[in-house]
Amino acid sequence: MSKRIFQHPLESQTGKRYWRSLGQLKDTPEFRGWLQREFPQGASELDGGEVTRRNFLQLMGASVALAGLSLSACRRPLKSLVPFTKGVEWSVPGKALFFSSAMPSRGGALPLVVTTFDGRPTKIEGNPLHPVSKGATNVWAQSSVLDLYDPQRSQNYLFRGEKSNSAAFYQALEALVSGSKEGSSLAFLSDGVPSPTRERLRKDLLLKFPQAKWAVYDPNGSVSEVEAVSIAFGSGYRVVPRLDLADVVLTVDRDFLGVEGDLSAVRDFASRRTVEKSGDAKARMNRLYVVENRYTLTGGMSDHRLRLAAAKAAAFLKMLALEVSSLTGDASLGKMAAELKAPEAKIAPAWAKECAVDLFSRKGKSLVLVGQRQPVAVQVLGFAINAALGSVGKTLEVHKSESKASLGIMALAEHLRKGKTETLIILGGNPVFDAPGDARWLEAQASVQTVIHLSAEVNETSSKATWHVPAAHYLEQWGDSRAADGSYLVVQPMILPLYGGLSEIELLAKVLGTPGEALALVQKTFLEVSNLTGDATAAWATTLRNGFLENSASRQISVNFRSEESQNAVSSAPAILFSENQFELVFVADSKVDDGRFANNGWLQELPDPVTKLTWGNAALISPSTAQRQGVVTGDVLKLTLGGKSVEIPALELPGHADDSISVSVGYGRAEVGSVGQGVGIDVYPLIGTEGLRFSVGVTLAKTGKSIALAITQEHGALEGRGIDLTRQATAQEWAENSEENNPGYFKKMGIDAHAPTNFSLYSHPPLDDVHAWGMAVDLNTCIGCSACMVACQAENNIPIVGKEQVINGREMHWMRMDRYFASEGGDANEPEMVSQPMMCQQCENAPCETVCPVNATVHSEDGINVMAYNRCIGTRYCANNCPFKVRRFNFFDYNQRSITSLYRWNLISPKGMPESLQMQKNPNVTVRMRGVMEKCTFCVQRVQEAKIAAKVSARDKASESPPQVPADAFTSACAQVCPTGAITFGDLRNSKSKIAKLKESQRGYRLLEYLNTENRVWYLARIRNPNPKMPDASRAGSASRAHASAGKHNGGH
Amino acid sequence: MEKSALTAENSAELKRQPLVAHGRSISWITQNVSQIVESPTPKWWWIAMLFTAPLALVGLICIVYQISNGVGVWGENHPNGWAWDITNFVFWIGIGHAGTLISAVLFLTRQKWRTSINRAAEAMTLFAVVCAGIFPAIHIGRFWNAYFLAPVPNANGIWPNFRSPLLWDVFAVSTYFTVSVLFWYVGLIPDLATLRDRAKSKIGQLVYGFFALGWRGANRHWRHYEMAYLLLAGLSTPLVLSVHSIVSFDFATSILPGWHTTIFPPYFVAGAIFGGFAMVLTIMLPASLIFPQISDLITRQHVDKMAKIILLTGSIVGYAYLMELFVAWYGANKFESFTFFRARAAFDGQGWYQWSYWIMMFCNVVSPQVFWFKKMRSNYVVVFIVSQFVNVGMWFERFTIIVTSLAQDFLPSSWGHYSPSLTEKLTFAGTFGIFLSLFLLFMRFLPMIAISEVKLVTPEADPHGALNKNH
Repeated sequence: MSKRIFQHPLESQTGKRYWRSLGQLKDTPEFRGWLQREFPQGASELDGGEVTRRNFLQLMGASVALAGLSLSACRRPLKSLVPFTKGVEWSVPGKALFFSSAMPSRGGALPLVVTTFDGRPTKIEGNPLHPVSKGATNVWAQSSVLDLYDPQRSQNYLFRGEKSNSAAFYQALEALVSGSKEGSSLAFLSDGVPSPTRERLRKDLLLKFPQAKWAVYDPNGSVSEVEAVSIAFGSGYRVVPRLDLADVVLTVDRDFLGVEGDLSAVRDFASRRTVEKSGDAKARMNRLYVVENRYTLTGGMSDHRLRLAAAKAAAFLKMLALEVSSLTGDASLGKMAAELKAPEAKIAPAWAKECAVDLFSRKGKSLVLVGQRQPVAVQVLGFAINAALGSVGKTLEVHKSESKASLGIMALAEHLRKGKTETLIILGGNPVFDAPGDARWLEAQASVQTVIHLSAEVNETSSKATWHVPAAHYLEQWGDSRAADGSYLVVQPMILPLYGGLSEIELLAKVLGTPGEALALVQKTFLEVSNLTGDATAAWATTLRNGFLENSASRQISVNFRSEESQNAVSSAPAILFSENQFELVFVADSKVDDGRFANNGWLQELPDPVTKLTWGNAALISPSTAQRQGVVTGDVLKLTLGGKSVEIPALELPGHADDSISVSVGYGRAEVGSVGQGVGIDVYPLIGTEGLRFSVGVTLAKTGKSIALAITQEHGALEGRGIDLTRQATAQEWAENSEENNPGYFKKMGIDAHAPTNFSLYSHPPLDDVHAWGMAVDLNTCIGCSACMVACQAENNIPIVGKEQVINGREMHWMRMDRYFASEGGDANEPEMVSQPMMCQQCENAPCETVCPVNATVHSEDGINVMAYNRCIGTRYCANNCPFKVRRFNFFDYNQRSITSLYRWNLISPKGMPESLQMQKNPNVTVRMRGVMEKCTFCVQRVQEAKIAAKVSARDKASESPPQVPADAFTSACAQVCPTGAITFGDLRNSKSKIAKLKESQRGYRLLEYLNTENRVWYLARIRNPNPKMPDASRAGSASRAHASAGKHNGGH
Repeated sequence: MEKSALTAENSAELKRQPLVAHGRSISWITQNVSQIVESPTPKWWWIAMLFTAPLALVGLICIVYQISNGVGVWGENHPNGWAWDITNFVFWIGIGHAGTLISAVLFLTRQKWRTSINRAAEAMTLFAVVCAGIFPAIHIGRFWNAYFLAPVPNANGIWPNFRSPLLWDVFAVSTYFTVSVLFWYVGLIPDLATLRDRAKSKIGQLVYGFFALGWRGANRHWRHYEMAYLLLAGLSTPLVLSVHSIVSFDFATSILPGWHTTIFPPYFVAGAIFGGFAMVLTIMLPASLIFPQISDLITRQHVDKMAKIILLTGSIVGYAYLMELFVAWYGANKFESFTFFRARAAFDGQGWYQWSYWIMMFCNVVSPQVFWFKKMRSNYVVVFIVSQFVNVGMWFERFTIIVTSLAQDFLPSSWGHYSPSLTEKLTFAGTFGIFLSLFLLFMRFLPMIAISEVKLVTPEADPHGALNKNH
């Protein structure tokens, strides 16, 4: 890192206006409100009225942003952030600062607030002001901070694999560009992440080099959806489902709560699952029908689920369309459906019929979603059904799309192979690894003389490129993007590029030959986008502070469904063939490594897949009955052959999977990747034929006779008849019959708690007499199991990764886990219900772990937290043994000091230590634990303490009442903060104004294993299912909790 | 003794079997026992040591490796926080029980047959407790901080947690070891003096002399000696019951299904005596083969009595096993009945560790039943084989209790299999090396039979007493 010099903006240059605008800012109620929510500890100080260091917020990005806002565009922007040898008034060592930014990602960037300590970003939170985030994020945002500090990130310019430097690169680039003959020798390949500045530069580029080619490729992108939308509604549009308005939702092969959705879809869906009273269930709760080939998070939330091969989804949709058309009398829909050439499928007619009736009964308030992997004609038919049901414009909005038409990778490859392109600039991405097989990308790339690859890691494409340019992480660069709702977001750097990386827009500017720092480029776009009339400095400051431009979200426009075009598209579409005894292979975007880009992120690799609980690799998911038929068990290596190409991949039995279908997730098996991703999983890209095609019929599977151990974190997935004790649920009907008035203890007296006698403790306990009593509630009705909480916890609490081998040994360290059960009445492994249950320390008031610790290393605090004194712990593991929830985690090795590949090497003669960059990620408020000590969820005790200290300071300043109390819901734990559905609530039980105080009184609230008398501080709110009583499978709803001593075999694999 | 029982009514005066066969004289006893120590080291001893000492060394290397790298080199995981370590601990501590029982309880109850086996049994106890003590010490994550367990008020005023059964263990085991060492040593003093007097080498005279503490066999010495011995026996007796009761509290006071049972203390004590006697037999039978001269001291009668104790305690243990099953059924707690009927005593092949349960059942309950027959009790081969079954069975008992309860407890999501690592296996094997090496050293340098005590049960020692009348 170069020496950083803090150059405070000079008075004469930026001075008065800047301060004045901040002064205005300071007193806006909105600003206060925002502060109250986001920086609660500080809120009370702010009440004191005096300007304190916390007012740094006003200075957010001050040294960089405001000073550099070059309205006259002549001032060199400051590149130096704050050095800590010359601290400024608002920077207090050890105190976190928070800055807004955004994480560019597919389908829309995530608005963020980044926690930084002494200039190091350590933790990502969602931007509470932005409607897409509302403070929540997802696993990728949470883990992105680890990518920033990845010691194996690309650090050098490489010329043909040899170390080079930026000067040489710029020289070469200039020569290439100047000789590009109007750009006819130039081609660009970028990913699909929206970026207005990049789009602006692209426009400029194409003006300057009209002959240049610009292609966009995202292996998990939605090209067929774009096409389907352009057929159904016209080009230049995108559809936005409004799940908050839909009473009845049918999703066909679309995991909108998982890998095919975004935060707003998740939140909107959950908003219709949030119930307070028994009356709400019928009044508010939506009903979800899911048709899918494998269990997904969406399927897990379903009220009715039909497992069906992806290729047969067309058959189902056809049946449904016919039913809908007969209900609505819409002949054109019937005609369209009749013309769809769908394969044969055995589907209970009643299922489609009753589903159609239910959708029709809520006309205008129902929604049908079709998977992005489905053929265009099927998606078009989906839009037609929506149109017939009156959903278009209501539950299915049509917005203008920002993305411009570009070449696809197939066309680009075709073009490159013609040999006219001399220079190919690849902005991010890894086409050598992830381009579809038919593109013959390697050949295409080889026919270009100079390939320039901008990438944050040296990957497969980099090593085949002429120039590799290290890319800056989004936390290191200026940039902009658009959120899922279309609003304009600014990406703000938190730290100077650690390894001198270049951002996408900086590289494009270099190609253009226009001078300009990234900041100036972004500000120019900002001025264009915002159509400013007034004070640009203030507007920019507001945007930076908020993280987004107000009122920039896209709005729905009135567009009619184009019946005729759709009809043509459907009737001219090729038939989907799927005969008996065939298997289809479905390619799934991975829930962790996505398309492979996060392969070197240990947090993501070790995060269990929300459904399969598989870590460190991928597997071929098959149904238990298929496995039985083929004589395969989990871990057996299968050879999948498709179109002459084959891969060998271990099988994983997944209950509820369609029988004639195999699912594999892409993105694994990276060949050139850092040490974390090395040798993890199997690359299935070679089996993918062409872009957008994500399932193929006719795959053959053969046993290889080999078997490998899969790193599955949950060995046993069956509930063993304990659903009624652990994961309580009821149908909306059952709840109505046992409402608060009729049966207040309905959920509390289930299972073993129904007849357990009152208990008492033999021990006396110190009084829990603090003014606070921390507690948590987890709403199983809104928890979708996405596991963002697990990564948030990992980032917040410095939880190490342990590696594949140790996961197989059962030693993963996650303080919080997402239990996933498959259960059904009668124990049918093929048609189970899926239940997710977040499990963390229950902070028992009468904690079994505390009495057994011989050295008093785990004790209770007055405010009710079961605390760990790491220094005192000698590691007997007795506490973990005596924990009924098995939430305690033991450091079997020195995970923080040893690499995960050398844990067994003799310590005394092997290297020790953590890479310096990774040290920078650690939360300074949380101890990094050594080997031999026990650890566990502490309810984020560091946040608790910070809040308490703030409350005490405020009480002292005001000389107010004692003892000082933290205001209700002033802060929350990391898991609760990240949760996009608000399923986790943390707070003060003793504060009657807090959310938790109300939730714990909920009728649905129950505590786990109450009969043990552990007096847990975590309440679970029972799950409510909302089945349609007319459906053939209605009786299955809630069966996971009724099932008694089911057959033990159905689980995620032994 | 069933023969005596049958004839008890018609025979007013039963003939006791002499405790020393062939009417060996006092000097014969001294000569023959001391000779074992005094004769040149036999070849077999070196050969045996060649096996046991390297085995002990391997164990020590494993321990060093484990302490320096972390507990992870073992097979333990979440949820199986304990497995072989505590299994081995309880196994060894159980073996240690026979020694104290023989030396203290049988002493107080005037069971004179104990005299020829008590020295070796006590030595075995000590060595077993040494092996046992290794495991709780090294199983902790931070060995170097083990002193936190000591009730020493430190600068922070933190005491150990007196509610923790693990702390009780520390006190119980260390007390037991201390008292056992004292008891053994006090009993050794007259014999050390004998060896001192007989020693021909200077070193022998010095070393035995030093440890004999100036014993001259004076009347006063004997009086103090016997009083001390009686007091120590009195002190040890409650320990026989307390140590294993407290070890069982580690499990009984927890809340895990399969651990949380009130039957554990008596069940563990019976099991410990059961396993301890099996180990005494395991060692004494080969010893009496190697030293034919001592077969007049350790007679068939001794073996017969020990076999009967094994039968009795084995049946108590069997009763406890069945009672656990009954209570699990009667209690109607789904978690408990799962542990007992699905995880342990499962017949369906679905129980993860049911094999271990059935090994335990067969070895501990079924195999000792052969001891109902005198013919079997007097057949050294059968006795030896059954002893081995019991040794194995008692190890599996602890394994079953610890691992089945941990591997599958309340939340099925956290269930997990356990399998031991090589380091773990070698550590356990190493403790056998340590145990056997120590025992070999003991046989080589100390009288393995309590000379002075055996002499006391010969007719010569009591010319006018009951013994002489009987014989």
